[in-house]
Amino acid sequence: MAIRWGLKVRRWMTEKMDLPQDVMMDLPRITMIGQIHIYIENHRGLLAFSDRELRLLLKQGQLLVKGKGFVIKTILPEEILLEGKIDQVMFIND
Amino acid sequence: MKNQWIEFYSGIVTVKITGKGIERLINSLTRNGIVIWAVRRSGTDSIIFKMKLSDIDKLRKYRRGTNCKVRFLQRKGAPFLMKRLFRNSGFLLGAFGFIFVMMILSNIVWGIEVKGAKPATEHQIRKALTEMGIKVGKLQFYMEDVETIQRNLTNKIEELTWVGVELKGTTYHFEVVEKNQPEKIEKIGPRNLVAKKKAIIVELFVEKGQPRVKRYDHVVPGQLLVSGSIGNEGKPKMVSAKGEILGETWYKSDVKLPLNSTFYVFNGNEQRKHSIKFGKLSIPIWGFKKISFQEFEKEQNVKKMRFLKWEIPISYVHETYREREKVLRKYSKEEAIQMAKNLAREDIKRHISEEAIIKGENILHQTFQNGNVNLSIHFQVIEDITIPQPIIQGD
Repeated sequence: MAIRWGLKVRRWMTEKMDLPQDVMMDLPRITMIGQIHIYIENHRGLLAFSDRELRLLLKQGQLLVKGKGFVIKTILPEEILLEGKIDQVMFIND
Repeated sequence: MKNQWIEFYSGIVTVKITGKGIERLINSLTRNGIVIWAVRRSGTDSIIFKMKLSDIDKLRKYRRGTNCKVRFLQRKGAPFLMKRLFRNSGFLLGAFGFIFVMMILSNIVWGIEVKGAKPATEHQIRKALTEMGIKVGKLQFYMEDVETIQRNLTNKIEELTWVGVELKGTTYHFEVVEKNQPEKIEKIGPRNLVAKKKAIIVELFVEKGQPRVKRYDHVVPGQLLVSGSIGNEGKPKMVSAKGEILGETWYKSDVKLPLNSTFYVFNGNEQRKHSIKFGKLSIPIWGFKKISFQEFEKEQNVKKMRFLKWEIPISYVHETYREREKVLRKYSKEEAIQMAKNLAREDIKRHISEEAIIKGENILHQTFQNGNVNLSIHFQVIEDITIPQPIIQGD
């Protein structure tokens, strides 16, 4: 119950104070350039990677990117830049 | 994006990792600050990526405990380039050797050309040059500079009026102007001889013309000595007066000479240093000893190196340090007067012609002041006092 309460307060604060939500709530920030680039900040680690699929761990749930010819251009602890032909971006909430 | 060029200098390695749980390994690598990029899957259980050469040790450390195998596929960047360069150092050596030989050859004299000289003179010039050490096939370092060669040549060979020396690349060009020595035809019009300066006539040798003065006559500058007009009163004939008239003239010379003076003399000890200068950086190649002289004079001789026809900022520097000693010279009063007299005589001789004779000298006055001897000397000189003066004839 207490966690729910904290979440509510944070959501309320971001709404009222006009703060960017990714900063306040530890959400991933995803930037895409057409179909060819996807830039994901605030991830929690690599789960699976192949040339057709990228699965990232987030704070809540996972992010699944599907496409073709994937190459990770850069990978840093909390950022990843993926190149290829991106078909789908999916959030998986367990 | 990262600037790959900076990584290039530290070396880039392409790594292939095979096994299970590669993603976990990549996570642990990135969390520990290892930069990896261009990650791509190459098969079902292998991944290829690039990383810095300096992070290889860390990769080994984090790989331990996982069941992944690491293979290095490609090595790129400056460290590997250097390694290869070292392995193929023969080429490098050859290249440097080539440049070195080229440089030596560019600094050798390959030709001596003499223009504008008669064969006899040319032969003489070539002989003189050989004596000076300028020969085909010799290194230019040991040669004098162009101005000195020019001076030496004109001094040595009488027939030369002027010689232009030019060093064009590896060839010396000599442009010669010979003296044409035609027979001197003296064609003198009618003239008088007049006095050059105030004097008392001592001797008269008149070859042509009518003497107008006698022995022991006192003459003033411009006074007519020998007239070019001879013959009768009514029918004068003009000739060119010729002759020598010796007169006693007077000169005064003031000399100041310090009794005690210090000056430097070289005592013959010298040290030499050779070095090669690259731009402003000087690298000694011979003579590393420190200069042990307290008082010395430095002579520096710089030879510029050339490559083909260009001068390059490398030069060969030859330095000579000559030790000098301070010498204190002390004169007694008598010696000082004697020396002062000699000095005065030298001074006078510089002003009078070579045939002139110093007949006598009188010290007008002498004083000793502030450690100096001041001498005023009067000289009697016997010399030719004539000067020609053309007679301008009216119609």
